[in-house]
Amino acid sequence: MSWRLPAFTSTPTPDNYPVRVIRFEDVSVTYRGGVQALRGLDLTIEDGEFVVIVGLSGAGKSTLLRALNGLVPATSGSITVDGTEVVGASAAELRAIRSRIGMIFQTFNLVNRTSVLNNVLMGRLGSVPAWRSTFGLWPADDRERAMQALERVGIVEKAYVRASNLSGGQQQRVGIARALVQEPSVMLADEPVASLDPVTSRQVMGDLRRINRDLGITTIVNLHYLDLAREFGSRLVGLRDGELVFDGDIADVDDDTFMEIYGRALGDDDLVGTQDDQT
Amino acid sequence: MTATHAPPTAPRPAPPTGVKRRRALLALLLIVGAVWSLTGLDITLDRVLGAPGDAWDIFKRLWPPAMGEALDRGVVGKVFESVYIAWIGTIIGAVLSLPLAFLAATNVAPRWIRIPVRQLFNAIRAVPELIVAVIFIPITGLGPWAGTLAIGLHSVGTLGKWATETIEGIDTGPLEAVEATGGRWVSGMRWGVLPQIMPIVASFWLFRFEINVRASAVLGMIGAGGVGAELVSQLRFRNFTAVGAVLGITVLVVLTIDSLSAAVRRRIIAGAARTSGPDVDGDRNAEALADLTGFRR
Amino acid sequence: MSDGGTARPVRPRPRLRTLGIAGGLVAFTLFAANEVHFDASTVWEVWTNPLWEMFWPIPWDWVLDRSNVLDPLVETFQIAILATIIGCGLALPISFAMSRLTTPNRPTYLVSRAVMNVVRAVPDLFWAKLLVTAVGIGAFAGTWALSIFSLAVMVKLFSETIDNADPRPLEAARATGSRHLPAVRTGVLPTVLPEYVAYALYVFELNIRASIVLGLVGAGGIGRVLEAQRQFFRFDRILGMLCIVFVVVFVIEQVSVALRKRLV
Repeated sequence: MSWRLPAFTSTPTPDNYPVRVIRFEDVSVTYRGGVQALRGLDLTIEDGEFVVIVGLSGAGKSTLLRALNGLVPATSGSITVDGTEVVGASAAELRAIRSRIGMIFQTFNLVNRTSVLNNVLMGRLGSVPAWRSTFGLWPADDRERAMQALERVGIVEKAYVRASNLSGGQQQRVGIARALVQEPSVMLADEPVASLDPVTSRQVMGDLRRINRDLGITTIVNLHYLDLAREFGSRLVGLRDGELVFDGDIADVDDDTFMEIYGRALGDDDLVGTQDDQT
Repeated sequence: MTATHAPPTAPRPAPPTGVKRRRALLALLLIVGAVWSLTGLDITLDRVLGAPGDAWDIFKRLWPPAMGEALDRGVVGKVFESVYIAWIGTIIGAVLSLPLAFLAATNVAPRWIRIPVRQLFNAIRAVPELIVAVIFIPITGLGPWAGTLAIGLHSVGTLGKWATETIEGIDTGPLEAVEATGGRWVSGMRWGVLPQIMPIVASFWLFRFEINVRASAVLGMIGAGGVGAELVSQLRFRNFTAVGAVLGITVLVVLTIDSLSAAVRRRIIAGAARTSGPDVDGDRNAEALADLTGFRR
Repeated sequence: MSDGGTARPVRPRPRLRTLGIAGGLVAFTLFAANEVHFDASTVWEVWTNPLWEMFWPIPWDWVLDRSNVLDPLVETFQIAILATIIGCGLALPISFAMSRLTTPNRPTYLVSRAVMNVVRAVPDLFWAKLLVTAVGIGAFAGTWALSIFSLAVMVKLFSETIDNADPRPLEAARATGSRHLPAVRTGVLPTVLPEYVAYALYVFELNIRASIVLGLVGAGGIGRVLEAQRQFFRFDRILGMLCIVFVVVFVIEQVSVALRKRLV
């Protein structure tokens, strides 16, 4: 789309490749009811990182992700994605930013009554003209992208199946495919496995890790299962009451760190466990 | 997409043809139906293009509405007469339909009574109030009582059907309790069923009242009382500003009644939800309500 | 039983407000009954009135003559079809504009709701009468009037469905950078479409019935025949007509109910 503004306006490096950095500077988010979800958050994420964010419910994890793509407006501070400011961006700028950021959700957020393929094609909404999506006339290469995305997550045989007929794990894969089809540079995952059983959770986390490694997509995942965080994460960010209380390598995490993040000792609820642990 | 080592995958499935065919069939059906109707009714393009202009011409002349004259002529009183007709008519319909509904519900009435009563409801529902009034007027004479009877009778059909469905949706626990104590059928209805259904049924009565206000305004057009006659006569004399006033006052009153009724209905339902036990299928009843709100008959 | 222990509670007395409201309602009812000239005796008179003889016997030869009943019935049918298509067609975008979930902006939301509220507040046959005055007697006015009626009913039903629809796919669509209209089209429409079709079928049923009475104000269809016969006091013919009409309505209803069950 030659008439669209480029998503990222930073000066290109000699390779003509934008430097991809996500930066939160003193970001605060207060919801309309007065609840302050984020306080003075400072965070920098480099290109291609796999970051896991942990914390109690209400600690601000969801808000952090949604502030990043503007679904929730930040009250103050600055969020830049590759030099483009998200806070205060116009509607058109937000759309451009969002089309380069893929998001997957805890409840999958699929359109249950339509096919898997139609759900995946929704990822191209930010790139096709409105009339095409309104009448369902997706371009051929978008259909090709969708099929390839489904192949990558391993469920292409379900392409024409109604989304509600899939299992939870399969539905989340559709969500991942939908995000992939955007050809994003950033992938956000808001509690992607909270609704899944341990085995499927590990499969999905494995998919995310593989995509991050193979395609170099910066990935930020919210989790509240610590063992999964340890298994799949490399960098861990801990939030508590809207503040950043830990930011470092997953290997440096010990019981004291958990105490800091969770305000209590580790419990069974914080681990997804294995299949045998499920009661 | 950048080339990667994708894991070996299943072959791509073929797109299904059934859905597209069904949609094409539906579209074809609609187009054929529309064309057939257009030609049958002799609706030509120039008529269609000319109509908005003609309509706008008339609507323009409704403004400014001659409110002062309307008030002098007692239009407000006429509108209220429509409200009274609707009120009494709804009450008649409610009082008659409730006992009959008990006789029509599958879970409380035997077959040999159920079926005739249900058919009675259907037959009554099928006759629009206007036609009932048309039949009644030669016998009762013109005036609001004819309209009231027409509305009352027709409402028996609709309210009866809604009440029957409500009764069929209840939790049978309290009913069984009454039976267990050796209570008679009537007691079972009074103590086991009635308390559960009253909030919903009352809510339906109010909703029917809203609809009946409009119906009684219309009945006035054939002389059965209310503001309809006023509209007809003003239109006949082409006093369009007077027509605008009649419309304006009617709309105001209807909107007010709608809001009040909706507020009361919400309170009734909310109150019922608060005090009912965990077994009451609030979802089903709420669904029935949602399903039926907006149903005109 | 009366050995002390917990004291028996006092029976709650009805609150003054409740009594006041009940009393007000009763007073209002009595007042209204007086205004409408409530007269229970007329019910007996109605029952025994010799005028009923005029309804019988039904002149089947007249009723079954094509041009008397069946042709106007076809016209009624055609009015209903067109009105449903036009009314429900317009209702689709307007319902989306009217729903908090899918409205593009606040002014659109408020304006569309206000306009539709006023449209709904006007009794349907008032529209018919107005349009007959504007564009002349006949099925044309009837079609327009019924379209407005269909629009009003459909919008009320459908916008409530949209309000209750799952908002999460819409959030996902927005997250991909979509504009508003495509997001609603892909994220909400597939979910509510079955209900839309079911309501449209229901509105069609309503229109068949409503177009019967349209003729009473000169707006075409079988109602015109009804009105003509009424003026000649030919109630026997009217009864015959009504029999035919209700059979047709019944059949259409059954088909519609069956189709709707398959959808939702």
